[in-house]
Parts: sequence; structure tokens; C-alpha cells
Amino acid sequence: MARIMVVDDDLDLAEMLGIVLTSSGFDVDLVNRGDEALEAFRNNPPDLVLLDVMLPGLDGIEVCTLIRKESVVPIVMLSAKGETLDIVRGLEAGADDYMQKPFRDEAELIARIRTRLRRTNADVTGILTIGDLAIDVTAHEVHRGAKVITLTRLEFDLLVALAKDPGRVFTRDALLSEVWGYRHSTDTRLVNVHVQRLRSKIEHDPEHPEIVMTVRGVGYKAGGAA
Amino acid sequence: MTRLRLAFQRSLAAKVITSTVLLSLGVVWLTGSALNSRLSDGIRTVNLNSYIAEARLAFFNAQYQLLISQDPSVQGRKELVAQIVIDATTQGLREQPRDVIIVKTPTTKKSKVSYEMASNGALAESVPVGVRDRILKSSDLEYEYGKVRYLSGIPRESLFVGNRIDIPGGGRYEMYVVFSLEQQTSTISLIQNSLLLTGFALLFLIGLITWLVVRQVVRPVREAASVAKQFTQGDFDLRLPITSKDELATLALSFNDMAASIEQQISRLENLSRVQQRFVSDVSHELRTPLTTLRMASEVLYNHRTTFEAPVARSAELLVAQLDRFERLLEDLLEVSRFDAEVAVLEPVDFDLLVLIKRCVSDLGIDSDEKTSGISTKSDKSEVTIRADMRRVERVMRNLLSNALDHCDGTPIEVRIASTDSEVAVGVRDFGSGLDESSLIRVFDRFWRADPSRARVRGGTGLGLSIALEDARLHNGELDAWGRPGKGAHFVLTLPRRAGESIQSRPIRPTPEDFHEEVFYQ
Repeated sequence: MARIMVVDDDLDLAEMLGIVLTSSGFDVDLVNRGDEALEAFRNNPPDLVLLDVMLPGLDGIEVCTLIRKESVVPIVMLSAKGETLDIVRGLEAGADDYMQKPFRDEAELIARIRTRLRRTNADVTGILTIGDLAIDVTAHEVHRGAKVITLTRLEFDLLVALAKDPGRVFTRDALLSEVWGYRHSTDTRLVNVHVQRLRSKIEHDPEHPEIVMTVRGVGYKAGGAA
Repeated sequence: MTRLRLAFQRSLAAKVITSTVLLSLGVVWLTGSALNSRLSDGIRTVNLNSYIAEARLAFFNAQYQLLISQDPSVQGRKELVAQIVIDATTQGLREQPRDVIIVKTPTTKKSKVSYEMASNGALAESVPVGVRDRILKSSDLEYEYGKVRYLSGIPRESLFVGNRIDIPGGGRYEMYVVFSLEQQTSTISLIQNSLLLTGFALLFLIGLITWLVVRQVVRPVREAASVAKQFTQGDFDLRLPITSKDELATLALSFNDMAASIEQQISRLENLSRVQQRFVSDVSHELRTPLTTLRMASEVLYNHRTTFEAPVARSAELLVAQLDRFERLLEDLLEVSRFDAEVAVLEPVDFDLLVLIKRCVSDLGIDSDEKTSGISTKSDKSEVTIRADMRRVERVMRNLLSNALDHCDGTPIEVRIASTDSEVAVGVRDFGSGLDESSLIRVFDRFWRADPSRARVRGGTGLGLSIALEDARLHNGELDAWGRPGKGAHFVLTLPRRAGESIQSRPIRPTPEDFHEEVFYQ
């Protein structure tokens, strides 16, 4: 059973989230303060973190940065502000996805959580090569020569989604549905931010990418494979 | 010419210098002419007096020599007269050429012997008639200005001073001493030239001085103007330098005070806007968290409604529906307050407007099967790519479509897309109850309802159209409404092809093409 850590200072909302998640079959840890989150995370590592942005002690973005330093666990930010800046800051701190309060419906929250917990490219196995990278899908590892590159699960999924079909152009909407499990969304910032993060880890020069290429006005494609 | 006039109108210095120079010209002209006439008159009077004195001496000499003459012969008299002419011509201190004319008085009876004589071939006929007439009646000398002519050579401006002389045994004659005025004329013209030259020099100096003085005043004014201009462009910490204690310093001081006050006001307003923004953000956060809990709780209840008794189950349904509506209202209110605080930002991306509209239409189609006999979409192109804020454009389209659905009364809805190189337009036309003129003015007002007695079918917030208008304007676009009672309504969204550019034309006019205003001929 998957364990989810919910970090939210609003006790009622945390309890409600607990009820909903438990009834959907998850184990839930509730944490109410930002400065207690990291310790709770270390004591009982969850499979996914639901993280509010506004927290007492330490805000959600800082917590996200700290967790990201030691783990590739999926992090979904909960934002009540809905301001672009907060969302982008959260994503840049390493969050995989975000949900804006109030949620459209709880089914969507559950669906997003399940997508994050599932392997999105279950049909791909073996080793993919793209440029000078070797992606071991089965072992969930990326190598450049002898060097191992650490990617979050989402970054790994994004890279595999692109690399399994080199040269094919993916629109941002297509990536949103394939990697994030969105049915329809107009928010393509998720894709942009994560592509930037992925590039900063796998490209020799993130300013002049050779592996994840931008196709102007359309989307992205994996280049480099001859 | 026009440019010159424009430069003149624009430059204070040019105006001041021109008027000063023109006024000075008048003054210099008046004083100059007065001086000129006084000096010329003075010179003429002095010369006249000395000429008359000299002439008097010459006449006296002549008469004396004639009286004491001993030679009674005609030849002797002629020689004497010649001697008199030579004496009178050479006499005097002046280095002035002068001539002597001796002519018979008209009253003297004719005789064979004439003693008429003149020096240097001066012609007796050139003696002015006026002076000859006067001499006839007067015993004293008479004078007149005129021109002396010669047998050969050019005539000269001269003064004719004449008197009677009696030649014993020869009858009555007139003697004229003719003084050349050339030197006098040249003296006067020298004076006139000097006056003219002085006048011009004076004018030039006055112009120069005015320019210097005006520059002293105009330069600080120009500086102030340039600072004020930069200030207007947003450089609020600019101030004028104060280097003196005169009126210009007072101007600079007042300007600086004003600038400081404006800067203060602006920062106060900015502060207010920040407070407002902060408040909106806080309200949003504070309301959203409990709303999230409420929604999840209501969903849990809703999902178990089959196990409840009917009234409880219905309550759960109503709770979910109203929370939905409450949430939409909250979102719309927040959006409106973002527009009011001017913190709404555009996030433009490239996308195909047709795809977006088709998606909006198909999303609506699911829950509106009975309300309309159909939504048709027509476009003059198969792809209309624009650069705009997709979320906002989608919101505008949803608002326009759901507004049309609310008012179409089962008639078809037509969506038309037209574009030019620089703008795109989307027209949403319905043939329902329409709008009258007073409604058209208020249709974009917040919480305004076309017909208060009419039930709100789709549960709109009453803010949709006003947000749509703000969204359009944020793109530098426009949202126009047209309507006639019973003829339906037509809403046209016009956007620049690339967000931020401006719209020059309306690819779709608000008055629909299918509508023709009834014209009454008188």
C-alpha cells in the first residue's frame, strides 16, 4: 500500500485529505508544520509527498528543496494562492506537479497521485540510447559513459517518453497527458519548467541543448540519436 | 516659410528678439531722422548766413568800384565789370568754387551796349525766376536755392544771392553771386551716412544684448521644460538645480516641491495598490483552504448519497452544486480585483484559435443538448494561429458561448472567425430575445442581468462578460456588443494577431451581416 505524506497547516483540510486518501486505499501521514516535515520524511519515507505552499516554520518551497536534496520521491504541491510566481517557484524547487486549491474534484487529485505513483512507460523495457546517454528503463537509471545521472521519477519519465520515439515531435499537451496524466489542461508551464530542469541535468550546455530539443511553436523532441 | 513661422512660434527667444529689434528700429529711426534734420538745418543756416555776408561784401565792392570809376568809355566800363566779376569770384576765404552772373534787369530799356557777363560760362537763364522777380521789387539782396547751368559741364546745386547794381551810364543790372553747395551737400550726406551706420550698429547691439538677456532667462526655462518632460516619462526623482535666488530659482523651487509631492502621492498610491494586492492574495488563500475542505467533505457525502434518505441525498447534491457556484464566484471576484489592482498579466503563447474554439464548443455541447438547435462554426481559413494568453482567450470564448446559450431560446448559434494579417475576430451570434439599446450600454457591467425576472439557466456569476471585456482589453483587443430586441445579439471579440500589438480594423463588424436596419423614407 502506497504511503502518502500530507504536509498542511490547516488541520481540518489535512484531516479531510486523510479521510479521502485513506478511503482510496492509501496510507497517510499527516504533518502540520514545515519545520517538522523533513524529520517526518526521514523517519518514515513515503512514496509521495503532498505539500502545501504556505506553512508555518518553513514554507513549502523550502521544504521541497530540502526533500529534493536527498530524494527523488514524487512531490505534488498544493497551492491556494494560484499566483503564477508561486507555482513556478514550486516547480523550480523540484515539485513534479501542483494542484490548485480548491481542487476541481477529489477524483482528479486521486488520479494525479496515482499517475505519479505508477510507472508511466510500463511498455518500454531494456536500454534506450539518445545522444551519448544510455537510459536503462528497467533499472531506472541514466548513464553517461560510466557516470550515473540522478533524475527524479518524473524527469526520468519525461526523458523516456521523448527518447522512446526519437525525432518525433511531442506537443506540450501530448506530454502533459502522457507524463502527467492530465486529460486536458491549458497549463503548459509544467512542461516548460521540467524540460529546463531535465536539461540542466543531462545536457552538456543547457543553453544549447542537444538531447531535448525545442521545436518552435510546436513542442519538444529528442534529438541526438543518429 | 511655414517652418520659419513654426520655429518663431516655438521659440520664446525668437519672439522677444524680434519684437525688441522692431521696436528699437522705430525708436532709432525717429531719433535718427530728428537728429538728421536738425543737423542739416543747422549747417544750412550757418552756411547761408556766411554766404549772404560774403555776397553783401561783393555787392558793396562792385557798387563802390562802379561809382568811383573814372573811365566813361564803354570799353572802360566793360573792363571794370569784368574786373568786378573776377574780384567777386576769387574773393572770400572759402575754398569754394563760386560764380558771378551779371544780367540786365528786365525793366532796363533795350540798348546796343550790354554789360551782361558771367564767370566760367554760367548761364544767366539758370537764375531762378523767383529771385529775379523779388529783386525787381526789393532794394535789399535776395536769395534762392537752385541749379546753375553752364555752357558746358554738369549743372550744380547752388545758392543764388542777388542784388541790384547800377552801372553809371549803362543802366540797371542785377548781380548774382552763385555759391556751389557741393561741400555742404557732401557734409550733410556724411552726417546722414554716419547716422544710418550708427543706427544699424545700435540695432545690432540691441539684438545681441536682448539675445544674451533672453538666453539667461530662456535657458533655465528650457532646462525646466526638459526636466518636466523626463519627469512625465516616469523619472520621478529628477529635480531642477537651484543656482541663484531670482524668480527662476523660485520657479525651480516650486517645480521641485511639486515633483516631491507627486512622487510622494505616487508612492502612496503604489503602496495602496500593494496593500490591495496583498489583501486579495490573503483573502484568496484564507477562503480557498476551507473551501477545499468543504468541497472534499461534500464530495464524500455526494458519493454516498445512494445510501441516504431522499431529502439528505438531495441536500448533498445541492451542497455540491452550490459549492461549485460559490467557487466560480470567488474565482471571478478575485479575477476582477486583479484587474482593478492592475496586476493582471498576459502570458502569451502561440496557438490555433480554431482548435481552441472547437474545444470550447464541444465542451459546451455535452451539457446543452436541448437549449439550442446547434452551434455552427464558420471560418475563412482552416488555421488561425495567434499569439495570445490562451487561458484568457478560452475564458472569453466560454463566457461568450455560455452567454449566447443562456439567451438563444432554442435558436441556432453562429460562431464566425475572420482574420487579417494583423488581427483576428470571433463573432458569436444568437437569434434569441436580443438586447435593447439601454441594455447594450450596460451589458458589460458587473452583476448586470438583461432581464432580472429571467431565471439564470447556466448559473453564471454575472461577472463573465465584464471579465471577458477586461481580458480582451488586456490584449489591446476589443469586445463589441450588438443587439436588437427580438433580433438576437452579436458579440465580437477582436484581438491583435500578436498580443500587445494594436488593432487597426475590425474583420467582423458588430452589426451582423444578416441584419439590415429598416430605413424609413420621409
